[in-house]
Amino acid sequence: MPRSDFWSGLVVAGFGLLALLWMIPNYAGSNPFAQMPPELVPNIAAWTMIVCGGIVALGGLVRMLRDGVSPVSAEVNWRAIGWALWPFVYVGVAIWVMTFVKLTWFGVFLIGGMLFLLGERRWYMILGCSVVPVVLLYVLSVYLMRVGVV
Amino acid sequence: MDLSAVGAAAAEALTLASFIGIGGGVLLGYVVGVIPGLSRSVAISIAIPMTFYMSPYIAISFLIGLSKGTAAGSAVSAILLNAPGEASSAATALDGYPMAKAGKPKTALQIGLIASVIGDILATIILIFVAIPFARVALMFGPYEMAAILAFALVFIAGLSGGNIFKGLAAGGLGIFLGTIGLDNQTGLPRLTFGYTELMDGMPLIAVAIGTLALSEMFVQSEKLRYDRANMSVQLKNDPNDHVTMPILRRIMPTILRGTGVGTFVGALPGLGPSVGSFMSYGMAQRAAKDPSTFGKGEPKGIAASESADNAVIPAALIPLFGLGIPGNVSAALLIGAFAIHGITVGPLLLRDNPELLYSIFAGMILASIIMLALGWFGLMVFAQITKVPPHVVIPIVIFFCLAGMMLQGYGTFGLVILIAFAVLGYLMKKYDYSFVTFLVAFIITPMLELNLRQSIILSRGNWEILLNRPIALFFIACTALALVMLILRTVRTGKPAANAPAD
Repeated sequence: MPRSDFWSGLVVAGFGLLALLWMIPNYAGSNPFAQMPPELVPNIAAWTMIVCGGIVALGGLVRMLRDGVSPVSAEVNWRAIGWALWPFVYVGVAIWVMTFVKLTWFGVFLIGGMLFLLGERRWYMILGCSVVPVVLLYVLSVYLMRVGVV
Repeated sequence: MDLSAVGAAAAEALTLASFIGIGGGVLLGYVVGVIPGLSRSVAISIAIPMTFYMSPYIAISFLIGLSKGTAAGSAVSAILLNAPGEASSAATALDGYPMAKAGKPKTALQIGLIASVIGDILATIILIFVAIPFARVALMFGPYEMAAILAFALVFIAGLSGGNIFKGLAAGGLGIFLGTIGLDNQTGLPRLTFGYTELMDGMPLIAVAIGTLALSEMFVQSEKLRYDRANMSVQLKNDPNDHVTMPILRRIMPTILRGTGVGTFVGALPGLGPSVGSFMSYGMAQRAAKDPSTFGKGEPKGIAASESADNAVIPAALIPLFGLGIPGNVSAALLIGAFAIHGITVGPLLLRDNPELLYSIFAGMILASIIMLALGWFGLMVFAQITKVPPHVVIPIVIFFCLAGMMLQGYGTFGLVILIAFAVLGYLMKKYDYSFVTFLVAFIITPMLELNLRQSIILSRGNWEILLNRPIALFFIACTALALVMLILRTVRTGKPAANAPAD
């Protein structure tokens, strides 16, 4: 917990700093004649992230020093990380495929593939659970919303 | 109250389209609620794109019906599986599961249903009688008061909706920062769009909501599958002695009324959410009992206390929404998005500009409660079967509907990239205990907060002394400062949040 607080606090404060020093000056625009400049609220938000993220990181650091915990762990469970990561990769690849093929046309494979990877082996479950949602989407988009196949 | 508008609202609620829309919402909510891991906010965020083709009244009533259905449905899995569909039904499982294991699953489910429906209807009636006078008063508020109230609500939610206050405020800061993306409405210039024309209208709300709530939750659930795949559902049998009786009803009625009061009070306060309401009500019922030792062993009052409060929170959370335009929790924040999609500004102006719609929504809410009772009573056996659906079957289907929701919205590949980016963000926020509730509420109310702040600064010409003539604004500024100091002190002293429950 102190380790995760330390690193997450650093990331939040770092993002706040990035926003304050690079994003807001370059992309928030400015209006010297406005009574409330457009960068005011983003600046307040960035400072909130810096201060609060900094306090969270500092709290984590103090607890790590008190408990003698190292900021990085030597034990990395790659299998657990892999299990946590693969759904992100799977959805990321699905989004890439969706730039070429409509979701309705490959939805059956998207659901079926994930069901298989999650351990489902009964063919009728894979078929039923893959086809029914796709048919529902087809009816919703084509007949109810009339936006065509998505 | 305009009686002709009330009559028209009642007539609209009794149309076939209304029955289908609201009934569909409650049914879908029930199914989602029964499945552990699928929360109310996940269901609403995925369902919003489905409401595009509906009229504003049907769309909003559908979503409120969905919300009510999930609250009632989550009790089914809490009682039969000991795995609450929602965090707020965890208190129901404390007595519901032992009662089901003792051979009375149907009785436990019926007690939960009756408590849910009574709590829901009474809180809806309170909402109707409180929200309208509340909105009338709020119409007199200017930008000073609204800016102060919004800031107070944000700090309150950051402190109470899980995680420590600093993490809550950091999440709020990120929400505000991302909420400022888009065209600046004073200068008309793009702000923080990084040259992407797709961001001119701001970060797409549906992508942010579905990514942070639904898709990230599916990633969390799929990670949990590695460690836990057990399903220990209690079977529902046709036992003639297993049903709720009049003596039981008479015994639990005072508990239901107390639970409704607690749920309504908690729901009306921003940031607390149904989990706090149901546990608070459960604790009060236990303290009020002659023999508190029966609680946790299948006590009917335990189920009644938890379920009545859980369901009373949902209509009560709409009091600040309809009265002030402030979302008290994620579900209410998502409703703001749904209203915006249909071109309606929610808050006190709704009463002035569109009273018929407001009355129709109230009528639809009462109808949803009645449908909930009928569906729950007659569909008990069917819903009990849904508890057998394993999570690994649910996850791919929900992910598919998350992607489908974005495509239906018409954002294309850009929207999908935003979606997965926010899913990663939501996953990390859940993993590292940063309040995604505060993040989302901050993201949604930022345009309103900024507009009111800007109007205040322009009207006052930068002279802060004008606040001395604005006692309500001054009161809320003082409350914000006080809440901030108290929440920080509490976090520093105890190292724990004031209430560690998601305000869903």
